Amino acid sequence: MAFLKLAGTVTKRMGMKSACYMYPVVAREFTKTTRGHVELDSADCIYCGLCQRKCPTKAIEVNRQEKNWTIQPLRCIVCSGCVDVCPKKCLRMENTYSSSVTSKF
Amino acid sequence: MTTTAITAIIVILYLIGAPILGGILAGLDRIITARMQGRYGPPVWQPFYDVLKLMSKEKAAVNKTQNFYVFCFLLFMIFTGAVFFAGGDLLLVLFALTLASIFLVLGAFSSNSPYSFIGAERELIQTMAYEPMVLITAAGMYLATKSFFVADIAAFSTPLIYYLPGIFIGFVYILTIKFRKSPFDLSTSHHAHQELVKGLTTEFSGPTLAMIEIAHWYENIFLLGIVYLFFAFNPLLGVIVALLTYFLEILIDNSNARVTWQLTMKSAWIVAATLGMANLIIVFFKLSV
Amino acid sequence: MSKRTIIPFGPQHPVLPEPIHLDLVLEDEKVVQAIPRIGYVHRGLEKLVEKQEYANMVYVAERICGICSFIHAQTCSQAIEDLLPIEVPERALYLRTIWAEMSRTHSHLLWLGLMADAFGFEALFMHCWRLREKILDMVEDTAGGRVIFGSCKVGGVRVDIEDAKLKDIVIQYNDLEKEIKEITDVFVEDYSVKHRLVDVGVMSKEDAHVLGAVGPTMRGSGVAKDMRTLGYAAYKYLKFEPVVETAGDCYARTKVRIREVFQSIDLIRQAVAQIPGGPIAVKVTGNPTGSSFQCVEQARGDVAYYLKANGTKNLERFRVRTPTFANIPPLLKMLGGCELADVPVIVLSIDPCISCTER
Repeated sequence: MAFLKLAGTVTKRMGMKSACYMYPVVAREFTKTTRGHVELDSADCIYCGLCQRKCPTKAIEVNRQEKNWTIQPLRCIVCSGCVDVCPKKCLRMENTYSSSVTSKF
Repeated sequence: MTTTAITAIIVILYLIGAPILGGILAGLDRIITARMQGRYGPPVWQPFYDVLKLMSKEKAAVNKTQNFYVFCFLLFMIFTGAVFFAGGDLLLVLFALTLASIFLVLGAFSSNSPYSFIGAERELIQTMAYEPMVLITAAGMYLATKSFFVADIAAFSTPLIYYLPGIFIGFVYILTIKFRKSPFDLSTSHHAHQELVKGLTTEFSGPTLAMIEIAHWYENIFLLGIVYLFFAFNPLLGVIVALLTYFLEILIDNSNARVTWQLTMKSAWIVAATLGMANLIIVFFKLSV
Repeated sequence: MSKRTIIPFGPQHPVLPEPIHLDLVLEDEKVVQAIPRIGYVHRGLEKLVEKQEYANMVYVAERICGICSFIHAQTCSQAIEDLLPIEVPERALYLRTIWAEMSRTHSHLLWLGLMADAFGFEALFMHCWRLREKILDMVEDTAGGRVIFGSCKVGGVRVDIEDAKLKDIVIQYNDLEKEIKEITDVFVEDYSVKHRLVDVGVMSKEDAHVLGAVGPTMRGSGVAKDMRTLGYAAYKYLKFEPVVETAGDCYARTKVRIREVFQSIDLIRQAVAQIPGGPIAVKVTGNPTGSSFQCVEQARGDVAYYLKANGTKNLERFRVRTPTFANIPPLLKMLGGCELADVPVIVLSIDPCISCTER
């Protein structure tokens, strides 16, 4: 029988740094591989529409005539599927999360 | 200055100071608890922000009478502390304390929520668990000092702890129940209660809940006052021991699971029967021979 | 004749991470009967198979649940690979195993935390989750996501872990193992914890069989049934024994999961030591036909996937039997006759994952 088995750990933790960090004040460190959000280098884009067809949530919309590429960040599930299929490699996965928004679209 | 005037000043100081001190203590509690759990924790004034916000909320009650009961709970809690710090009769103090908690139970019973209902039942069981030890504490203090008056007990020259070490340990044991801390936070707890949602206080909200919070601060200060009595021969030591006791309670809270009511009952009575009674008998014979 | 009360337990309750409703019929504080009701987070993911291409179904499967995520994706990929059929490169199989075991360690630590919370031990809860956070960081570093790994695809895996990083994972796990030991010792030895777990929610070996329990719930009752012994992915190359405890109470189920955390760490070590080089994926061509049935061991028990295809790019039928679904009848059996205070502990002891159950 052991009483107060965690007492040692909790007393030890009192003198240690918090395991959490003050999020918005202290910026989060992302790893190199983190899937954060999709970005387009529109200069190279040929508006082929492959990404639109591959997107599982239909978040990407490509208009070939108007040379227009849009993404709805709230629909995107950051699967990186579009980045994989892009023939010109002009889509890239940034390792920072997309910024907060106050309205839906 | 007459003694009456001094007493009046102490009581007024208590009325104003106890909620402030109690709130700060609650804030420190939250910070220390957070540190123990590896978190930052809220600012020390968070309990006050909470109460102020509760005050500004809509008065929604399932049953209007519950507000009356909770008001009585606060009133008798203040009364308990006031009599205690005025140096009044310890028995009156302890029974007023019981009366106050019974009002809270009535308030919980008056709403029809099953969780509040079970919480109230558990609170009664808790009361039953800690009451013997509380009475033994009063009896022990009487045996040692030959007075039930807090003023006389506080002015007693020999350290009370010298006569009543067992009773002190027993009292600290049931203090965990009174502070609503693990392992004995059966009826309600400071955070969400895993068994009863919020237990006793499930159906209270807004200003009513704020009253319960404030009453709890008064209660904590009063209970630490009793701890202080054991070391009253040296006021500084008394305060330090009271604070250390509170810290010990936080440590126990953070290194225990919640136990069942059966074990609470059994262990509290065993502690009262062994530590409490043995100490009482020894003091009785030692002082009467 | 004693008075009966009905206590609504859930769908919103402090102890429940996900919505499930139980009507608890009480006599005093004794539960006489528990009547479940589910359907609060049904999303119709199985129906999506008609709209999504088969390769995209891996994304859908992964999002069935946020904790079992990787193993869902793995099972779905396995089933589709079986239908096509294609051979997955060895390295991909090993990487899948490593990620699956990482997912198991973080899931079990999450569960240990929730269990600690269920018996009112907040500090223990926080410390379990503190350790889990380190595993999530490792997952993010290797796979790219934190709870949705997103690293599995039909035909292999999408990202490779460099050998240096694999070694680093083992080193981090070695350090973590000591910390986990410090915390899990509390579960095994502390008096107040044992007081809440031992002889609570006992289920006999026979009941476990008859009611169809799976995973740690079943292994806690003394049945050595672990789908990993089927030898899917890289498990056929690794040495391990299913973890079994015989008591059948909440304490036994807790001990099974604690031992499985260490077992998983050991499996990761073995996998890293043996992992071969080579490609991580093969090219997928053609459309699947036929039907496939896959059983894979998740953290909560075995998940069963049934996939039927008709030669088009959409599958015809996508059916998932999740472990929690199988564990609900045993749960109801355990709840009968227990104390109200033990209800949260017993409900948590099967590790309910309602999102999985309802899909």
